[in-house]
Amino acid sequence: MLNLLSFQSSALGTVGQLALLAALLFTLAGLWLAVLGGVKSDPRATEGARRSVWAVFGFVTLSLVILEVALLRDDFSVRYVAEHSMRVSPTWVKVTTLWAALEGSILLWAWILSLYAFVLSLTLRRDALRPWALGAMFVSLLFFIGVVASIASPFTPLAQIPSDGAGPNPALQNHWMMAVHPVLLYLGFVGLSVPFAYAVAALVTGRLSEHWISVTRRWTLVAWAFLTAAIVAGGWWSYETLGWGGYWAWDPVENASFIPWLLTTAFLHSLQIQERRRQLKAWNIWLIVLAYSSTVLGTFLNRSGIVQSVHAFSNGPVGAVFLGFLAFLLIAGIALAAWRSPYLRDEGTPAAALSRESAYLAGNWLFLVFSAMVLLGTLFPVLVEAATGKKTSVGAPFFDAFAIPLGLGLLLLMGVGPLLPWRRATGEKLLTALRIPGGAGVLALAIGFAAGLRSMGVLLTLALAAYNVAGLVVLTVRAAQERGNFAALLREQPRRQGAHLAHLGLVVLSLGVAFSTAYKSSAEVTLNRGQASTLMGQRAVLENLEQRTYPYGVSAIATVTLGGQTYTPRSNVYVNGGNTLYPTPSVHYGLFGDSYLVTTNLDPKGQWASVRLISSPLVSWIWIGMLIIVFGASLTLATPKLAVRQTEGAGAGAVAAD
Amino acid sequence: MSSASPTLLPQARRRKRNPWPVILGGGLLALILGFIVFGNLSKSLEYFVTPTEYKAQTSQFVGRTIRLGGLVRNARYDRQSLKLSFTVTDYGASYPVSYQGAVSDLFKENQGVVVRGAFNSAGVFQANELLVKHSEEYRVPTSQADIKSMLKDTK
Repeated sequence: MLNLLSFQSSALGTVGQLALLAALLFTLAGLWLAVLGGVKSDPRATEGARRSVWAVFGFVTLSLVILEVALLRDDFSVRYVAEHSMRVSPTWVKVTTLWAALEGSILLWAWILSLYAFVLSLTLRRDALRPWALGAMFVSLLFFIGVVASIASPFTPLAQIPSDGAGPNPALQNHWMMAVHPVLLYLGFVGLSVPFAYAVAALVTGRLSEHWISVTRRWTLVAWAFLTAAIVAGGWWSYETLGWGGYWAWDPVENASFIPWLLTTAFLHSLQIQERRRQLKAWNIWLIVLAYSSTVLGTFLNRSGIVQSVHAFSNGPVGAVFLGFLAFLLIAGIALAAWRSPYLRDEGTPAAALSRESAYLAGNWLFLVFSAMVLLGTLFPVLVEAATGKKTSVGAPFFDAFAIPLGLGLLLLMGVGPLLPWRRATGEKLLTALRIPGGAGVLALAIGFAAGLRSMGVLLTLALAAYNVAGLVVLTVRAAQERGNFAALLREQPRRQGAHLAHLGLVVLSLGVAFSTAYKSSAEVTLNRGQASTLMGQRAVLENLEQRTYPYGVSAIATVTLGGQTYTPRSNVYVNGGNTLYPTPSVHYGLFGDSYLVTTNLDPKGQWASVRLISSPLVSWIWIGMLIIVFGASLTLATPKLAVRQTEGAGAGAVAAD
Repeated sequence: MSSASPTLLPQARRRKRNPWPVILGGGLLALILGFIVFGNLSKSLEYFVTPTEYKAQTSQFVGRTIRLGGLVRNARYDRQSLKLSFTVTDYGASYPVSYQGAVSDLFKENQGVVVRGAFNSAGVFQANELLVKHSEEYRVPTSQADIKSMLKDTK
């Protein structure tokens, strides 16, 4: 039996643990009430379940606050604080230490889950889906609160209370993105629990029509926007701190965040087919079950230590428990869908081969294959080791081999989708519609070739980018002309215009990825103090090298002038990080390219420094593209203001009523 | 799909859809991707080997990118030109390694090291990445098994 409570050793820890146990109790009660409310159609039981959510949210919040207070007050009687915090850390590091290790990050996950459940409990409509959606949220809550209250409790008593803690992982003290990226990622991951809960409710009640889809569209979009922002923010963090001038390495944990993104993006498109055309019911159920399961898979992969990753926390029983939950989600999803298969049949005529539905469906297949391949690549070393006993690693070439063609295929479909009408298009109409975008693409290809670009991937990305932008411009100009001005268009169709904007952001992001990957260059040199050297054709001088001592570590700051500009790259050593150097490169951001200077080795006497200069074009476009995507996604959340003319489709009406 | 309750949708028009386009399309996509990925596999799959393993199975690894792990001997490093050469050994076999780039002070004689790269025609391991295992509880690997576990744990 786990030893969870001891008042003697830590009063604060005990209160935190009791709060978690109370939350667990209310979760169990809420689950029971929700099922009762669903089975007996008893609104009183459902109301009880709804209020249990508030209690769960309250108690998880309490334990989160207690852990944060313990971190800020250096209360080392609390296990998590003793193991992962230290006195000398600056306050912002102490705040972020809450999610710098396993137990705290699961607590944050559980808290965000209870937050989503709380918001859901306030916005749920009084319908048959209500008890079951709450019940499904309670199942997720039961798992996460169960784990954090038992095997991964941050509050279990310590045998001996240390005078100072062990401190957080040095790599996580190095950049303020630690305060942003993990939180965004959890908001994205956990946000998918709501559409999943609705899918379960729709399956259980058999009400698989468009209702659950239109209710969950916004939830999915919110989760998707957070996930997009989190992935790109993680890339920027890696760019700013890891010192290799890259932002994506196909690391297992990066992949684990990318798979849900791919599946959710597919879902956001296929749900429109169900909204408008009442088709793909089964497909949508599967996609959201897979997307939610893949967030758990990601956590399993990086918490179990079965794959090697920069993100791996310590090994423990938690990995196995996550694997069990993953299996439960998949089996429950399959069983429910099999049980309800008679309801999952699509009505109406299937769309013609040349229609918007087909473009969306083809895109869906690409997203699905993409995520399957990423999963295969991530697990490949494990499979090879199981089969041959040899240790291997799968590098970027493996992933690039399929990611580039699939990405280009998606860019192609992304351009053609909005140009096609629903149901059916004629070949001639499509050719007419494609004349301007296609022309723009060919023109961009020719210009790129004339300008000396020879990389196939970059040229095709450029052509497809021009084709996408031209297509969007044509659509927008035409629609705005019909209404007289652009503002009216935005008011009337925030959803469509937001989606177009998100597409534009993705185009900008793809250009950034293509150019920065293909045309990145770097050079290394050792600079002697006061003595000029040449680095990539520029005059480089090491002006100064000084050490600054902080309570939590030492920073060596080099001042280098390069081509008339001053760079101050740092190398940091942390008191709890041995003598490992954690670089902070100095980056000069530019719209068309970044210059990135990082110190690779330093003279302790301050006479020389080895530096690497990395120059990569259009990196900033990735961050700008992400901002455009997120802005576009938030625009699609707006409720359309209906003009005198009725906007098309039943979907818009259902959303407006939401 | 099972037909558990046929009474549910009595008038549902059960349309027999032709499954072949989907099967053929999906199959073709899988085939193309399989071809792309597994055609490149010899280039992109990196094996983790010790010098002794390399010696025993040279033909399998020649010309490929591998991760070689062992102990550092005879290290020579020129700070100005950033040229590094050393011998990597696992007590059983030894190979010369050359590398271009800055090396931290953690790179020492008798230190465990993992290098990423390929052997050139002259039999010298051309490393393009140096992964030095460094941590507080670091100890010098003393056996094949130690080196294997070091190879596995170095990221």
